[in-house]
Amino acid sequence: MQEGRVLPAKQINADLLKSILHSPKWFWITIAILSIFVLGAVAAAGLMFNKGLGTTGLNRPVMWGFFITNFVFWIGISHAGVMLSAILRLSKAEWRRPATRAAEILTVFSLMTAVLMPLIHSGRPWRLVYWVYTLPFVPYDFARGVWPNIRSPLVWDPSAIFTYLTSSILFVMIALLPDFAVLRDRTTGWTSRIYGLLAMGWQGNPRQWKLQIIAGVLLSALILPVFVSVHSIVSWDFGMAVAVKSWHSTIFAPYFVVGAVHSGVSAVVFVLILLRWVYSWQDYIRLEHIDALGRLLIVVATGWFYFFVMEVIFGFYGREVDEIAVREFQFTQAPWNMWMIAFVGLTYFLPVALWLPRAFRRNLWIMSTACIAVNIGMWLERFMIIVPGLAQKQIFTFDWYTYAPSSIEIVIIGGTFAMVTMLMLLISRVVPLIPLYDIKEGNILKTEIQIGRRTVPATFRED
Amino acid sequence: MAASEHKRYAGMWVFPEASQITRDVAGKMAATPRVLPLVLTGAGLLFVLGIVGFIARAVDDGFDDYMDWGYYAAIFSFIFMFSGAAPLAAVAFRLTKSHWRRPLSRISELFAVLGILSTVMLIPLLFVMPPINNAGWPGPGAEEMELRRTIWFEVPFGAPLTWDILGLVFLTVCGLGILWLSALPDLAECRLTATGFRRKIYNFLAGHWFGTKRQWNTQKAGLAMLGAFYFMLLIFVQFVIVSDYAMSLVPGWKDSILPPIYTLTSLQSSLGAILVILYILRRWGGYEEYIGISTFWSASKILLGLTLLWIYHTFAFFITFWFGRLEVEQNIIKYLFVESYGGIFLANLIFGFAIPFLILLWNPVRKTAWGPALAGLSAVAAAFLFNIRIFVGSFNAGDIFDIGLSKVPAATYPDVWDVFMVIGGLGAALFIYLLATKIIPILSVWETKEGAKYQKMGTLIKGEYLILAKPE
Repeated sequence: MQEGRVLPAKQINADLLKSILHSPKWFWITIAILSIFVLGAVAAAGLMFNKGLGTTGLNRPVMWGFFITNFVFWIGISHAGVMLSAILRLSKAEWRRPATRAAEILTVFSLMTAVLMPLIHSGRPWRLVYWVYTLPFVPYDFARGVWPNIRSPLVWDPSAIFTYLTSSILFVMIALLPDFAVLRDRTTGWTSRIYGLLAMGWQGNPRQWKLQIIAGVLLSALILPVFVSVHSIVSWDFGMAVAVKSWHSTIFAPYFVVGAVHSGVSAVVFVLILLRWVYSWQDYIRLEHIDALGRLLIVVATGWFYFFVMEVIFGFYGREVDEIAVREFQFTQAPWNMWMIAFVGLTYFLPVALWLPRAFRRNLWIMSTACIAVNIGMWLERFMIIVPGLAQKQIFTFDWYTYAPSSIEIVIIGGTFAMVTMLMLLISRVVPLIPLYDIKEGNILKTEIQIGRRTVPATFRED
Repeated sequence: MAASEHKRYAGMWVFPEASQITRDVAGKMAATPRVLPLVLTGAGLLFVLGIVGFIARAVDDGFDDYMDWGYYAAIFSFIFMFSGAAPLAAVAFRLTKSHWRRPLSRISELFAVLGILSTVMLIPLLFVMPPINNAGWPGPGAEEMELRRTIWFEVPFGAPLTWDILGLVFLTVCGLGILWLSALPDLAECRLTATGFRRKIYNFLAGHWFGTKRQWNTQKAGLAMLGAFYFMLLIFVQFVIVSDYAMSLVPGWKDSILPPIYTLTSLQSSLGAILVILYILRRWGGYEEYIGISTFWSASKILLGLTLLWIYHTFAFFITFWFGRLEVEQNIIKYLFVESYGGIFLANLIFGFAIPFLILLWNPVRKTAWGPALAGLSAVAAAFLFNIRIFVGSFNAGDIFDIGLSKVPAATYPDVWDVFMVIGGLGAALFIYLLATKIIPILSVWETKEGAKYQKMGTLIKGEYLILAKPE
């Protein structure tokens, strides 16, 4: 038996456009609270720019701390969009439909947030201009061969991230065209005109649908290499550095990508549960969808755990004294060993234990707990990769140091979480976070087959 | 309903009649194609040649020096690689409830019988392998290590050899368990039609299977549990084999991505081998009514994904070593990728990536039977080259107790006994697989029948379309 009802198109429009056409009271109150956090972060960043990086906990040799950890974390979250939208679209997974839009938009916002982190970390973001230009509009003369080094992974980063950001925005916009047209037709005045512009003349004729589908599939396929390259290149920021012993590992690229998918999909599941709750979208984000995402997460988490184990085993395998010193630091010395236990427990053992029973996968409280646990764990993972390695980077023990974040760093990091939440809420006032046309298409293709005395859910296949 | 009645899906999806499947498959099994004895004899002869090569190598060089056994290790690893991973195709696609998997389930499970061959082939390697302890260690400060690099850090009891063979034995038993459990309903069907000695075999193998609801539930739960166990065991055994019999033999080779690359190569080559067999069965085996193009189409997308993952992981390895500029890493790249085994690596790259990618990139080609099969054949060839490069290279990399690979060794070419052992291994694998198909139906009859029930034609707007059911 099908779990969801087949709803008429009119009701789908009414339900899914509710977040745009009506504003509940809690909405602006929540936005106001989140704004306070964001403004706090802006003020903290301003203070840090004014006083210098000395206000942070960064020191020699731990030059990378919370900001870079947060950068890697948000890049990771951005991987949900492609995983849920592009890959599941290509594999024709029916249960993907309500999750795609939220995942794609979360991708865009998390990427935008990630980009901010290295800028803030630089301490003097306006000097970024020297990375590209010597004088206004005069490109930097690379022939001098001093700085910046275009062969450095740190230069590959912005190229990959901006390519991913551009293609992700394009991906969202293409998917939004039919929904913009619906909004154009259901709004009035300047709002209708803006939606009209965004809909780019969409009338829903067969040719437009055909082109939209082709564009979606093509973009899904083309975005995949970009998706993989982004986190691979971020991983190579670390992996190419032979001086930091625990970083120079060949597995870093796939390990980071799988970890990113793990945290990104978990974040999307949590966002979906929130959306279902705040907008009463029980008919659209159904328990079967959360269940399927839970099953996907078991596979992703196990893949991630495999890469994690390989990374650790081969850390010890080399029998290099300085690398073993870092590993001992991570695994045996407090408080790092406690963080390590928390990270592995929260990233793998707790969530997978919660995802295994079907009843748990269909319990939204349990799923939310598991998904939040994954994201806390994944944040800790990045922290545990970056800081212990740097703290014991030098061969001489008198150069070993540790790192404690300052309140400025904590406020800024907290602000990024508030910012992404706020942006997600604000965008829900502008675009439907569940794609209308995708849900309608799913309803059309949905049917049932009678086998003996049982009614089994089924779908129409075009090819 | 015949396929021709659904023109939109002609060839793509098959619509077998549930009532005819048993009789048809039993008929196909009873009738021995003229070419089969010929192939069996050829494979048997190669098998014998392999045994001759093995005996000659043992007599000539003994088991004292592992370096002489590089090609033997390579062919062992190749057979283990694709045969070990193949049953996972049935397990994984059954778990995802993919309808297109049905024709390939049994083909993939039958590879489990090759686990017996892999296990037997591992035994001589256990005698050949060098110890972990450096008996002649000159002491601290020397350019040698007291213990060679190994995944068995504290050298637990019997490590590594006992654990290696135990892992492989458990994997083989588990694989055979999956095959038997999955084939149980079909063996019971065969029991009804067979006569004489064959009937006795089927009686023994089918046990008390009568197809009760309880039996079906137990079978499905058992398959899921064994599948999960098999998956974990396979990953572990592959990690052990590639670490103990390859990486740890190259001084200074510390490469955390090699086990995933090995696993990916095994998944790619096993799916490739399955596609080749599917093509042969469809084209010449008389199974066209049961194997639709949709199976090739869907499997080809997985093969394309695996191909891309393989090149991605290989590139991730290469760029990290290349960019790191450490002497030992540069030497390993030169040895296994660029200079000594550069030619084989290039061929490996062409067969493992370029050819499958260029074939599978095109949807119209993916929607044929020959395209995916050709790409699969290429992937199998690539896996063969991969094993030659990695295992022969590792077995001949020099002093295993050195801290790092300080110079680039030359490539090792096969002698006549090596050639005999390599082709003998391939012949043995073919021989054993073909024999197994004479006992167990190569088409999963019960899954095909089940699939026939889960599909029907229905009207959507103005057209007739296929409806596929997906029970929870």
